Amino acid sequence: MRQEPIDEPVAVRADFRGGAVTPIAFRLRGREHRVVRVNARWVDRVPRHPHFYFSVTAESGDVYQLQLQSADLVWWLDSVTLEG
Amino acid sequence: MATAPARTGTPPPGPCAEPIILHVDIDAFFASVEQRREPRLRGRPVIVGTGVIASCSYEARRFGLRAGMTLPEAKRLCPQAVVLEGHAHVYRCFAEKVFAHCRDMAPAVETYLDEAYCDLTGTERLHGDLLEAARRLKRAILESTGLTVTCGLGPNRMLAKLVGKAVKPDGLARVTAAEAEAFLRDLPVEQVLGVGHARAKTLRSMNVRTAGELRVLPAGTLERLFGSPGLLLHERCRGRDTAVVSEREVPFSISRETSFHRDTTQRREIEGMLDYLAGRACRTARELGIRPRTVAVRLRYADGESAERARSLPQPSDADPVVLALALDTLARLFTRRVALHQVGLTLSNFVRAGAEQGALFEEREAGRRAALYRAFDSVRDSFGHGVIISGRALHLKGRLAEDEHGFVLRTPSLTK
Repeated sequence: MRQEPIDEPVAVRADFRGGAVTPIAFRLRGREHRVVRVNARWVDRVPRHPHFYFSVTAESGDVYQLQLQSADLVWWLDSVTLEG
Repeated sequence: MATAPARTGTPPPGPCAEPIILHVDIDAFFASVEQRREPRLRGRPVIVGTGVIASCSYEARRFGLRAGMTLPEAKRLCPQAVVLEGHAHVYRCFAEKVFAHCRDMAPAVETYLDEAYCDLTGTERLHGDLLEAARRLKRAILESTGLTVTCGLGPNRMLAKLVGKAVKPDGLARVTAAEAEAFLRDLPVEQVLGVGHARAKTLRSMNVRTAGELRVLPAGTLERLFGSPGLLLHERCRGRDTAVVSEREVPFSISRETSFHRDTTQRREIEGMLDYLAGRACRTARELGIRPRTVAVRLRYADGESAERARSLPQPSDADPVVLALALDTLARLFTRRVALHQVGLTLSNFVRAGAEQGALFEEREAGRRAALYRAFDSVRDSFGHGVIISGRALHLKGRLAEDEHGFVLRTPSLTK
């Protein structure tokens, strides 16, 4: 199992209800990937403005790491984890 | 989830209320975080570590794997194990979330890498039954992080930790002062706080194998064997531990170490890494408002030999060049073998609060200018990441190591303790 860095800004559809943010889908290289499950979420509060991280499983079954930088509300696609 | 017999009824809290400590331990911490982040790892043996196991999942432990075991040995015992190098900053985020729940519950919380001691003395009127409160804490942690923790309640730190250890993972247990002697009687002597490998060996040579057997030895005998720590052992094997829970605002040490991607003898690479590690450690010290008196450099050679040396600064300092100069000088004295290095590390310790130390009068202006410069550096790094400012020898790492928003991606990053 290995993690491949992507490290690209990405357009994300997200739900902000209930005081928590939950990614619903993201668009990578022109293709929309629907999030079927949020596996884990964590917050890095060391930077002045916190970074919100999400491990999500897309419809394809691949696991991606998304990041929301609260300073400018920009989403990043950090990596994808591949089997093997 | 197992529970030890709990006291019935809630005693009225008062100035003489029995101390109650809750020990919270995150089960197989690093490996569990990796299993949360990657669902395909759940139910599989997972190892986190390079060179040796830093953490392994309970699935891996069924094959006899333990923290500290070398990876070749681990792969021999469990060839199907998934080995991961680990993500230190992710673990720190998860730990902080767990500790935030502990702080919601207890007025004083002492935290370590993957465990916390919470002083619940006198909080029964607030929480009601403390065993039930601990159960609520476990539930809250599971819901917000997906991690299981084991909780132990006891009249002191040692007993709280030991009773939790008996019901890991995902356990909850309580031992009272009245139950302490019976609880400890059959525990292996190594589990008594203060009995390490060397003392256990001495005690076993005397046919002392359990805490109950240790009780037979008079205090004077233990003092003659181990010096003043022997008197502590005399108390602890009876379930008595007077250490208090204290919010450690000042850490014992700040360590930054990593193994190289490839074992190396290149001075420029080693010094560059030491420069970078010193910069990271000093930045953490400045964030905490503390200055180290002692700087230690630790090396691990490719053949497994280790070398470490600690030296003192003339004045406590959190300035990168001051710490680095001593670290480089120590490295020059320490790195004497003609063997490639596998790992290099730097530890700052023996801290004083910034501003509390006495400096030379004429150095203060220079120190003030330097402090302002590093405040500016830290501010830029807070906004744009540590790697945005790289100086001196660490420039040698540029292009050789991958970078992320935290700086260079180290192979085996370590954490502040």
